[in-house]
Amino acid sequence: MSSIAELLWAEKYRPRSLDDIVNQEEIVKRLKKFVEEKNMPHLLFVGPPGTGKTTAAHALAHDLYGENYLQYMLELNASDERGIDTIRTKVKEFARSRTPPGIPFKIVLLDEADNMTADAQQALRRLMEMYTTSTRFILIANFPSKIIEPIQSRCALFRFTPLKKEDVIARLKWICEQEKCKYTEEGLETIYEISEGDMRRAINVLQAAAAIGTVTPEIVYKVVGLAHPREIREMIKLALDGQFQRARDQLRQLMINYGLSGVDVIKQIHRELFSQELKIPEELRIMIADYAGEIQFRLVEGADDEIQLNAFLAWLTLLGQKMRGS
Amino acid sequence: MNKNIPWVIKYRPRRVSDVVNQDQAKEKFIPWLRQWLQNRVPEKKAALFYGPAGVGKTSLVEAAAHEYGLELIEMNASDFRRKEDIERIAKIAATQMSLFGKRKIILLDEVDGISGSADKGGLDAILELIKVTRHPIVMTANDPWDQKLRPLRDASLMIPFNRLSERYVVQVLKRICAAEKLECEDAALKYIAQRSEGDLRSAINDLQAIAEGYGRVTLDIVKAVVVSRDRQYSPWEMLRNLFMSKYAWQAKRAVTHTDLDYDTVLQWINENIPNQYTDPEDVWRAYESLSRADIYLGRIKRSLSWDLLSYVFDLAGPGVALARKKSKFRWAKYSFPQKIMLLAKTKEMREIREALAETISKRIHASKSTVKRDVIPFLMIIFRERPDYAARIAIGYNLTDNMIKYLAGPTYSKIKEHMNLLLLRMEKPALASEESSSGAKESVTARAAPSPSSKKKATRRASRRRRRGGTQSTLPI
Repeated sequence: MSSIAELLWAEKYRPRSLDDIVNQEEIVKRLKKFVEEKNMPHLLFVGPPGTGKTTAAHALAHDLYGENYLQYMLELNASDERGIDTIRTKVKEFARSRTPPGIPFKIVLLDEADNMTADAQQALRRLMEMYTTSTRFILIANFPSKIIEPIQSRCALFRFTPLKKEDVIARLKWICEQEKCKYTEEGLETIYEISEGDMRRAINVLQAAAAIGTVTPEIVYKVVGLAHPREIREMIKLALDGQFQRARDQLRQLMINYGLSGVDVIKQIHRELFSQELKIPEELRIMIADYAGEIQFRLVEGADDEIQLNAFLAWLTLLGQKMRGS
Repeated sequence: MNKNIPWVIKYRPRRVSDVVNQDQAKEKFIPWLRQWLQNRVPEKKAALFYGPAGVGKTSLVEAAAHEYGLELIEMNASDFRRKEDIERIAKIAATQMSLFGKRKIILLDEVDGISGSADKGGLDAILELIKVTRHPIVMTANDPWDQKLRPLRDASLMIPFNRLSERYVVQVLKRICAAEKLECEDAALKYIAQRSEGDLRSAINDLQAIAEGYGRVTLDIVKAVVVSRDRQYSPWEMLRNLFMSKYAWQAKRAVTHTDLDYDTVLQWINENIPNQYTDPEDVWRAYESLSRADIYLGRIKRSLSWDLLSYVFDLAGPGVALARKKSKFRWAKYSFPQKIMLLAKTKEMREIREALAETISKRIHASKSTVKRDVIPFLMIIFRERPDYAARIAIGYNLTDNMIKYLAGPTYSKIKEHMNLLLLRMEKPALASEESSSGAKESVTARAAPSPSSKKKATRRASRRRRRGGTQSTLPI
């Protein structure tokens, strides 16, 4: 081994140029047009996680500005910024900086834009208008419906679709060859099934699995099992057993020690519901799923994640009692 | 020692002399009781203790019963409705004690809890009880002057209780601190006493809650936790008032008449619902209501419509208090919100995780929450299962010792060993090719980049990126 440093494969094997992107052909073709013309409108990339939205934006900027493209692109993540005010300040400062040679605009990349409130999006719209001569915005979102109408109408919309199974597997195989790691066909297929078309997730699973051994379905399941906090299942079991307070303790562990958000937790609960490890009557799974959906909705509406999830656990506890009673 | 005993019970007076600062009351009560004990039935067969909460009314009865060897028959008067309860007590009261049997004293607590025409039967039952009893009856009330209680007043020896003066409260608190081997600042005890306004029970409850929450009682903590009076309620009192409420207005009053802000109020209730309610259905009903309160709060915070705040209190107060349908009201030990304590305890760990998420999020172009959810769990597996491989990733991202510790847990030292080995191996070819470079503490990444043997595209890219970033921190070796 010649190098002593290693990277996350999600970084190491991220396509650098539009030419390296092997899927989303239609989108790549349209983006390449912008590079040719050295001009583009504001763009809105929508689609599920891990379908290459952020990668495409970086590749576009790379092809426009060359190797050092990052000095002409401001990358912001709406979930990490503290509000529209900090975004405004950063954009203002960035707009003042040097313009690239030969291209009349710089790029502001705003990831997870659908996490912004409608009010913040209104402010963003004004920001887009204010700097429209010197900057182009690329907005990235999972759901187009969560982007306000006036912004949508100002952007060219690009819909990223979940990656096809053969594309994902081909990419995983290619990485395995680069890394000289052992794998079985079924192992890679299992990764595809688990990651549901999310390429980043697939690569993360692959790297952890390859670190442990040959990439087989068993190893893949082991890795995914380890990555999912086992507290989730324990928590559900404790609540159904009538031990509400202990279930609540587990919830706090999950949220504080693992740093999971309330929505992360409820989604993992939902995933757990259909696992055969959880031994409950089949019809209960549907009832719990229904209430979990209600709670997910409330998590978005409410202020405190733990209170909402405690309501869920209290309901599970009650359900458990009724189940034992009958 | 059982930690779960409320101190107000653990340290309740055992002898009449232990009841502090109520000499006037004792002067009326003790002769009356002695008369009973000498088999001379007094003119008034019942005594009515009245005065503010927590000044020793019930305690005095209990202490006297203990000191004079009387069997205490206790009944909360507001529960004095069920026919079988009434009959049970009436039977005891009317029965002459046997030659060798213990003498009895009957305590009817909180007779002012009997209210309205619905409880008319209860009131009549008490009056009947007084008529037939062959044992002393003591009743307690905060406010005995209600019109409907008049027949009771007429039938009873009225004994007033006063608020305790501050120094007596401090004296009791000090005694408890000594018994519990607690580190207590005098000024802190004085502060608690002051704000208790002569309510010894609430003072002891506050003391216990602070001691259990923080392990020591200092003025700083007390000031932060205990709210200054002016009939504002401390968290514990707020909860007690809330859960004891029979009417919606009482519960609303409990959550609004406190200096705590709405977030803190919700946190205290969130923590203590299962401490108070035992039946799962009640617990769920309470949380449903709290959940709705929190939704209103979320809407307020997003839309800044503060006039919705009243609805938050409706649902967090009356909604939670009236959720009790199956559980019996009981003495509950309320606890400090564990979430707040846990957050304080894990602050350092969370900061490390945050820094780690930020480092990685910049490199893989994903939000910190995505990194925490989708990347860090897999890194943890690698760091725990493959220390050699992890060492190279740690070098690749220039992770700090704390970050490695967070990811690796028990395998931390193994990873450090591997890192040292790798760095040593790097040292040799580097020294051979560039003799000018020296100094053991020089940045590793600076060495890694020009390494002639490095053919890996990724490493080149990584080092390029780091150069662009401009910072080349020294790796801890």
